[in-house]
Amino acid sequence: MSSPTPHLTRDRTEQYLLGALPPEAEAELEAHTLTCEPCARLLQEEALLEEQLYEVAAATPRDAVVVRPARWHRPAAVAAALVAVAASVFLMLRPGGETASTPVTPVEAPVVAARDVEDAPRDIVVACPDLGTQEHCLKSASARGLLVYHPGGQGEVPRYDASSGLTQVALSSRPAAL
Amino acid sequence: MTTLQSRQDIDSAVRPAAPDEESLSRRALTGERAAWDALIARHQRRVVVSLLAKGLRVDRAQELAQETWARLIQQQQRGLLPELRLPALALAQAAFLASDDARRTRRESVDGTVEELPERHQPVDPAQSAEKRLLSEEQLTRARDALEQVSPGARNVFLLACDGQGLPHAEVASRVGLSVQRVRQILCEVRKKLRTALEEENHV
Ligand SMILES: [Zn+2]
Repeated sequence: MSSPTPHLTRDRTEQYLLGALPPEAEAELEAHTLTCEPCARLLQEEALLEEQLYEVAAATPRDAVVVRPARWHRPAAVAAALVAVAASVFLMLRPGGETASTPVTPVEAPVVAARDVEDAPRDIVVACPDLGTQEHCLKSASARGLLVYHPGGQGEVPRYDASSGLTQVALSSRPAAL
Repeated sequence: MTTLQSRQDIDSAVRPAAPDEESLSRRALTGERAAWDALIARHQRRVVVSLLAKGLRVDRAQELAQETWARLIQQQQRGLLPELRLPALALAQAAFLASDDARRTRRESVDGTVEELPERHQPVDPAQSAEKRLLSEEQLTRARDALEQVSPGARNVFLLACDGQGLPHAEVASRVGLSVQRVRQILCEVRKKLRTALEEENHV
């Protein structure tokens, strides 16, 4: 306990709040705030911002959360899957449907044929990530004229590839037969 | 259910919440200690951070977080917990303890004695103790506008990580197909943007 511990930086505090620091560093940071008033305040302020971010997230419409199907089945498979009860709801844009980047439009991602991942995108699929928001998702979907269907367990994994960014292409789209 | 690529991916895609959160909660409600421990490990940080945000020192925040879990477990043992929605319930309990703490401190400083507060046995209803809003409408609007500006991928990560279910970063990472490190990087970037948006001066 002879050498004084360093003051907190904002970055380090963020790392702490994210749980990204190793335990010793975490303990050191905590201990420091007990003896250093300005750093204690910094930690509290950053924690408050963290809580505010949760509030922002809670106030953000869930249907903006989208996962990208890494792969998708061909129409037959899709149609077959319609009868299945879904755990998550997918919205499919109608052909010619709006794909522009209006703020409310959920993130769109190309759907790729099952056998050929590099295939040109065919459909625009957006997905609600969970059951909790399904109802809201369904409502806003119909409000926007989107087709909704339940892909059930069929599925290639909707996953969002954040690194590839968003392809805002107007895609030829198969309507899901409802 | 043909040509499934990967069981694990399917699970993360199809399951609504964190995969084992639900079963953990169920088991915790039967009093299984290991389930409680897992839930505590998962949500502890959020509870501590929420207490820090109320201006508590880190040591007190940790004490109250411990107390929070102790109370919840006690309520469960008394059959007072019909359901367990985390982290919301723990946050509500912690907020209650924090204001209790503040009241006690005030009283102590006023007359130098600590009056024993009636012990609450009732579980805290998170809906009822509706947390005070931390942000003004303008701030919220600015933050949402700022959120519109970040890449959809980053926004997705942010919303997954902060959706109030306490999804561990590792799980966010596996859902979006990125490394945990990258997820945290993204969260820091989004945080910076939102910080700026929230700190903007109010001008019309
Ligand atoms: Zn310091």
